[in-house]
Amino acid sequence: MSSLLRQHAEQLFAQELEELQKQDTGKRPANWKLTPQGVVTYLIGGKLKNGFEVTPKYIGNKRLMEIAVATLTTDRALLLYGLPGTAKSWVSEHLSAAVSGDSTMIVQGTAGTSEESIRYGWNYARLLAEGPSEKALVETPVMRAMKDGKIVRIEELTRIGADVQDTLITILSEKTLPVPELNMEVQAVKGFNVIATANNRDKGVNELSSALKRRFNTVILPVPDSMEEEIDIVKRRVESFEKVMELPAEPPALQEIRRIVTIFRELRSGVTLDGKTRIKTPSGTLSTAEAISVVNNGLAMAAYFGDGQLKAADLAAGIIGSVVKDPVQDKLVWQEYLETVVKPRDEWKDIYRACRDLM
Amino acid sequence: MIHILGIRHHGPGSAKNVKEFLEKVQPDIVLVEGPPEADPLLKWVNHAELKPPVAILVYQPDDPQHSSFYPFAEFSPEWQAIAYARRNDIHVRFMDLPMTHHMALEKETFERLKQDGENKKEGEQPGDAAPSVNNYAFRNNEVAPPPAVRKDPISWLAEAAGYDDGEKWWEHMFEHRHGNEQVFDAVTEAMQVLREEFAQKESRVEQMREAWMRKTIRQAEKEMFQTIAVICGAWHAPALVNMPKAKDDNELLKGLPKVKVECTWIPWTFSRLSYYSGYGAGIESPGWYDHLWHYPKDDGTRWMAKVAKLFRTKQMDTSVAHVIEAVRLAETLASMRNLYKAGLEELNEATKTVLCNGEDVLMQLIREELIVSNRIGDVPTEIPKPPLQLDIERTQKKLRLPATADYKDYTLDLRKENDLERSIFLHRLQLLEIKWGERHDVSGKGTFKELWRLQWHPEISINIIEKGNWGNTVAEAAEKFVIQKAKEADALSTVSALLGNTIPAELHQAVEVCIQCINNLAAASGDVIQLMEVLPGLVQVTRYGSVRKTDADLVLGIVNSMLTRICVSLPTACTAVSDDAAQKLLELFFKLNDAVNVLQQSEITALWQQTLRSIAASDNASPMISGYATRLLADYKLLEGDELVRVFHFSMSSGTPPDKAASWLEGFLKGSGTILLIDNDLWCLVNNWVDTLDEETFTRVLPLLRRTFAGFSSPERKKIGEKVKAGGSGAVVKQVAENAIDEERAKQGIPVIMQLLGIKN
Repeated sequence: MSSLLRQHAEQLFAQELEELQKQDTGKRPANWKLTPQGVVTYLIGGKLKNGFEVTPKYIGNKRLMEIAVATLTTDRALLLYGLPGTAKSWVSEHLSAAVSGDSTMIVQGTAGTSEESIRYGWNYARLLAEGPSEKALVETPVMRAMKDGKIVRIEELTRIGADVQDTLITILSEKTLPVPELNMEVQAVKGFNVIATANNRDKGVNELSSALKRRFNTVILPVPDSMEEEIDIVKRRVESFEKVMELPAEPPALQEIRRIVTIFRELRSGVTLDGKTRIKTPSGTLSTAEAISVVNNGLAMAAYFGDGQLKAADLAAGIIGSVVKDPVQDKLVWQEYLETVVKPRDEWKDIYRACRDLM
Repeated sequence: MIHILGIRHHGPGSAKNVKEFLEKVQPDIVLVEGPPEADPLLKWVNHAELKPPVAILVYQPDDPQHSSFYPFAEFSPEWQAIAYARRNDIHVRFMDLPMTHHMALEKETFERLKQDGENKKEGEQPGDAAPSVNNYAFRNNEVAPPPAVRKDPISWLAEAAGYDDGEKWWEHMFEHRHGNEQVFDAVTEAMQVLREEFAQKESRVEQMREAWMRKTIRQAEKEMFQTIAVICGAWHAPALVNMPKAKDDNELLKGLPKVKVECTWIPWTFSRLSYYSGYGAGIESPGWYDHLWHYPKDDGTRWMAKVAKLFRTKQMDTSVAHVIEAVRLAETLASMRNLYKAGLEELNEATKTVLCNGEDVLMQLIREELIVSNRIGDVPTEIPKPPLQLDIERTQKKLRLPATADYKDYTLDLRKENDLERSIFLHRLQLLEIKWGERHDVSGKGTFKELWRLQWHPEISINIIEKGNWGNTVAEAAEKFVIQKAKEADALSTVSALLGNTIPAELHQAVEVCIQCINNLAAASGDVIQLMEVLPGLVQVTRYGSVRKTDADLVLGIVNSMLTRICVSLPTACTAVSDDAAQKLLELFFKLNDAVNVLQQSEITALWQQTLRSIAASDNASPMISGYATRLLADYKLLEGDELVRVFHFSMSSGTPPDKAASWLEGFLKGSGTILLIDNDLWCLVNNWVDTLDEETFTRVLPLLRRTFAGFSSPERKKIGEKVKAGGSGAVVKQVAENAIDEERAKQGIPVIMQLLGIKN
């Protein structure tokens, strides 16, 4: 077992990628490690011809993944859009791992992301000592990806200031990165493309300019359609977490996951699952990703502080933590939900008591 | 030589194959699945003005609601087959079980089911094949509900081929391909296997249909036709290839019941052709099929260009680059899915991703305008049609009110000749319950504007045929229909509502009958309340006199006589009523008073005032009503100053029980407290009265007082409160004496005001 806290997708699923490469005989776009169909299989999962089982990475609509992969084969970049926690970064990591075999070319977008971190920067010591030269140039992931013909990922594109965002336009349309200081340019090698992620809630922060928008194909990742789908996602991710974290706790019972997913779904949609009661929605997004972290959190609690079995008390703190983001309003919402929905449910007595104790 | 061409109803690929096949084989007769009664109608196909989508409507003249449609689009294989025959001047016949028997059989089944009672509901639902390859008739009144969800046999084949949906499989196998030589043999073979593998008991009607088809084929053979082309739903193909003995078929078809049926061409719409309208053989996307039919070789470019054009007309920036990218993405998607060509799904996904930024909302627009599309067909005027239908079409043309599949709004200005005629026409159709136009409220004052929303549905044709019994023109039919309804009505309110709708339709005779009916009913009715309820509506009707040169005078007569009746019996009706009833009566009073004011007829007003007086003066009248009557008199300035004070004081005096006084006050102050604010004497009166109440009495009348005051507007309440605070009888409004203006000083201000107004002096 590796001593790394978290492995990259291409490390964690190295075997799957290798098998896929072996089996995948179709035509590959230049510099791609797999065929487009192979990439889709890697994401959605399936059985290979030799019986090798590929685990699903994205659980949901296959067509969306097909659109995403097809986009990467054209000269448009891909923009993954969705609520926080709808697996945007997850999908982008796996896409680049499958397409380029490398998911490490990444730029994290923040309000402070400058042009230097997208185009190139300078090693000032060298610059002063030797004058402008290629050696003094500090390459960004974007520049490296262009040179190597790989996928570069830009996280939270809409967080980046509008002026900095627009530096991408030349890169995306002309596929080149001019360096006027050295009178040279870096032209992208085939296989280069950009996957950006942005979330719906921050839409207003730095809307993409229409010129930039035109360079992206947008795929909106939805929240899971059905209860079963969501439970499946949580279960798989929690299992992989156990493996990575080497937790001594027993794997969580399905019913425990079901309860958490139910709570999250109900609060997110504002109605109980039976559709009978209307409830208030809290300010947080309550995404599937948060449900996953609540279960993981609970497992850790159970393992180190409890008896190794996931109990309601281990989960309560996590649930409250993700529901109550605003100490005043969300607290009321949660209390109301607890009293009107959780309390009357007979099998939920333990969770009710555990949450009650914490409030 | 008999060629059996099994097709999917409304499949553009099938249509293309049929067309190519016919041109190659050159048959001398074409037999098409459809009702033989409609054979005479076939000669109209290829008429320049018969533009698909159209449908053959088959109906029972004595029961038009019982009817069937056979819709055709340009991309329907049946249409192409008939069109080919017409073009080449060869025989073409329908060969399905005649509707005359079909409908009679249905009627029998229906009656049997009714007799059997509820215990055997749907017991006999046969497992038919999907309508898309079986029967393309659109049933108006299904005897039994459409068969419940069951597995369509074709989906077995689709599953075997790795598709999740039978329709999709069929689409890719047969509709999207070019140049397939033996496609019809393949279809027949496939269906043959299916029918053997999934042998179900075909229902009796299904067996008869196929027997009749075979009978028609035999007949054609007997008539010495050499090359016979048979176009039928794919499901039937095997049954027509393997002919059983003629005797068996004749046996099956012996002694069939009959009903009288008639048929005609009617315009159809694409939206009715779609699956969503409940049409069994419907298709997902008529607009897309139409596109496929016209541009079979399109790789998506032309479609995307259409989408872009639509987006641009909706003010959405769509560049050529967008279109290029979208087409590319659709192609890539198709190749990833191992399709030889991008279908509608790939194109839609590309549109959503590239043009719509992933948002679903905009796709709705494409769905309505392009995928389903708002097309409506056209039928030549000279086709024999029910006279009422003809009249409607003529009027539509004359008034420039075309039937459209999408809704369209018209704002009519009744001062214009054409608009007035349109309004009359639409009102008449509405009276006939032909639901083409819907009238909406229009903002703004005046009675000369009307807003209509028109949308044509193919079912309207049945409505028209049904109403054909009433007359041959819209005016005549509407007139008779209204008269009949008025005579049958037994409630005043029904007839008066009818009258309200009849007057704008300008049906003089009907108006007269309505008025007569109202008169009779009013005379017979002892219930004054009923009269009061109806009257305001009638008065509203008379207002039309201003724009429409109509029968307002006639109505005025009836209004007069009704008001007289009301005035006579009202005082007695106001005595000994409970509080609740009084409350209701008060509302009617309110409206009636308005109505009288609208009429502005001095005689009626005088009569009304007289009635008010007697109610106000009556001891026995309900205190609330008599209070209101007093107030109305005050409004008419018939009770003023000292006299009003006297009356009020009398009603409020300590001799009157407090609850009665409070009721009276509620009636008196109904609707407005302004009078209380302005009339100082009155104010003192009320104030003093409240002062005299001891605590117990005050507590008792408080709810009533609250009820009264709650009816006031909040500024009024506030002012009243302020006035009370200012101290008892405090005079708030000080009138300026007329001669108190100092003219000299006023003059000094004038130049400034002139300057402010921009007038030079």
